[in-house]
Amino acid sequence: MVDAGTVAVATQMIGDAGLKAIGAGIAITGTGLASGWAEKEIGSAAIGAMAENEALFGKGLILTVIPETIVIFGLVVALLIK
Amino acid sequence: MSRPKRMTKAVIVGHKSVLKRTIDSLHASNLLHIEDFIEDESGFKISKPFQNAEEVSKKLVKIRSIANYLGIERTTPAVQKTNAVLRELDAKLDKLDSDISEKIKIINKYETDLKNIEAQKKELLPFLSLNLDFDYYRGYENLKVFAGSVKENLEEGLISRVTQAYELFFDVNTKTVVLFVAKKDADKVAEVLQALEFKELRIPERGGVPSELLKETEQKEAEASRKIVSLKAEVESIRSQYTDFLLASDEVLSIENQKAELPLRIATSDNAFIIEGWVPSDKYDILINSVNDATSGRAYVTSIGIEEEEEHIPVEYNNSKSVAPMQEIMNLYSRPRYTEIDPSSIIFITFPLIYGMILGDIGYAIILGAMALAIKSLVKSDSVKPLMNILLYCQISTFIFGIIYGEFLGFPLASLHTEGETVAGLLPFWNTITLFPGISGEEFTFPVHRAHMVMTMIGVSVAVGLLHLNLGYILGFINISKHHGLKHAVLEKGSWMIIELGVLFAALGYFGVISGLTSVGVVILLLGIVMLTMGEGIKGPVELPSLMGNALSYARIIAVGLSSIYIASTINTIAFGMIWADHSKIGLVAIAAIIVFILGHALNTVLSIIAPGLHSLRLQYVEFFGKFYQGGGKKFNPFGYIRKYTEE
Repeated sequence: MVDAGTVAVATQMIGDAGLKAIGAGIAITGTGLASGWAEKEIGSAAIGAMAENEALFGKGLILTVIPETIVIFGLVVALLIK
Repeated sequence: MSRPKRMTKAVIVGHKSVLKRTIDSLHASNLLHIEDFIEDESGFKISKPFQNAEEVSKKLVKIRSIANYLGIERTTPAVQKTNAVLRELDAKLDKLDSDISEKIKIINKYETDLKNIEAQKKELLPFLSLNLDFDYYRGYENLKVFAGSVKENLEEGLISRVTQAYELFFDVNTKTVVLFVAKKDADKVAEVLQALEFKELRIPERGGVPSELLKETEQKEAEASRKIVSLKAEVESIRSQYTDFLLASDEVLSIENQKAELPLRIATSDNAFIIEGWVPSDKYDILINSVNDATSGRAYVTSIGIEEEEEHIPVEYNNSKSVAPMQEIMNLYSRPRYTEIDPSSIIFITFPLIYGMILGDIGYAIILGAMALAIKSLVKSDSVKPLMNILLYCQISTFIFGIIYGEFLGFPLASLHTEGETVAGLLPFWNTITLFPGISGEEFTFPVHRAHMVMTMIGVSVAVGLLHLNLGYILGFINISKHHGLKHAVLEKGSWMIIELGVLFAALGYFGVISGLTSVGVVILLLGIVMLTMGEGIKGPVELPSLMGNALSYARIIAVGLSSIYIASTINTIAFGMIWADHSKIGLVAIAAIIVFILGHALNTVLSIIAPGLHSLRLQYVEFFGKFYQGGGKKFNPFGYIRKYTEE
């Protein structure tokens, strides 16, 4: 059990600014992981396709970077929280 | 804004007796992209290669395998006359071939020898410490010889316990054991040895004392190595002597081969031939003249109207010299189709522009610009030059934005003076001027202090993005109206611009900038959506959110830029923190600080090519090209050869 005093101290320590920072952090972390995950899947498939046909580099690059927009959304949200 | 080079379809018809001359002149002119003939009902057949084809390919294979073995590199060409090369080719090639193959054979023999010697030496080494003549190891009737190695020390007591008739040789260092025992006790002794993990060694078949044998073997080894070295030196001298010959003859024979095999790609009957192909329209006359000259007018050249699907037409870029490097970026994606707009000249502006907006730093622009110039002058390779030119264009734009942002290696040059705060800059006399209020309480200043007006810069980035996207829609509009008519263009691409207009009006009205505009905006928006649905079907409205995604994607301009600034300023903080930490003496700390500064900025310089480059490229490929570009054009590949090592 956490007594009332600890809660008060904790609330004091994590003020509004702290919560905002944590929120911004979550926004970046989540979207960053999500883009990374998606790009990993697409990237490995793209490399596989490139091994068959080198001319697919351009298309592979494009497909691989498409999920990157997710993290940009995260960044925008993080900045808005600030 | 340009289109690919206009092409004319040329058909050349003639009697087979002039085929060779026609092919020679076509090859020399290097203008005609030949369409391969596919046999059909017409009765025409592809022909056989010229008689010399087989011989030429044989020689070519020989030359290439020799060149491959010698490791011939493409050097600065010493141009030779084709005739001279051809005249000497057979004799020289035979001599070279016999020289080389003889030497290769001997080298191979010595190398095999060397391997055997190596194996023999390995066999000898364990016996070296005991130094018993190998003849003593065999030829007994009542004695058994154990020769091998054990894991632990072999005490004599262990053996004497099981047998009295023995002779033991043991080397403590290598743990090699040679043991002679009476045959009847052999089993018991074997058990004892087994307990010590005895491993039998093969006894060399030669007789003699190991140390002497080793000396002999080493002599042989040195001999063989020396011979190999001297032979390789001879091969090396052959290489330098024949490099020019090999390069030139490879080229001459490749040309002969191309010509000899052309009949496989054209239509022929018993007595006539037809060659079909594409020639740039402005060069058509040159082609006619060269064929007429070569055949004294006996081959008939004509152009025919383009009626078949246009995707067969090969595509040759039609750009000025300064725009040409951008074609590399186009090729990486996909060559434009014949009927499309070739956007090279547009990305000539937009790619460096966005790169510069991202990086925007005077210091990095100077470093990278100097690097690009240096590589351009040092590396002669044709594939590197366009890339360096692109890098150079990008650095010009980076330099300009560096002045706009007032940044030098991550330091702000001008000191920031806004209502809220003052941040010192590098140059004491340069102060920012507040131009107008930005988004969410920020102030828009000159020079633009990016790190202090992030929200405003996101707004600016997205606005630049919208301009870029709309440019894409306009190009798409032009492409479609040319191909499918104005109505389709308005419905498919114009509708997007109407939707944007509707959103803009609605937003202006909603935020009370101009009252009463909201409903007008909504009406326009709905109109746009209806038009889009008419143009693209249900797929259109489904893709609506992508417009927001695309526009927001341009926020990376400021995001990637900020990351570069923060890396640079972190390096600066660490380096200068170290120097200022200890004022009294300039010693190790100062040197370490300089190293941190140099290494850190070197790292950030490399990142400054990759990150802004890739992100700028992505904005072109995904967001911009997605609005209008199809690609997939066939490369214009004329029948001919660009000579480097020979001339007619």
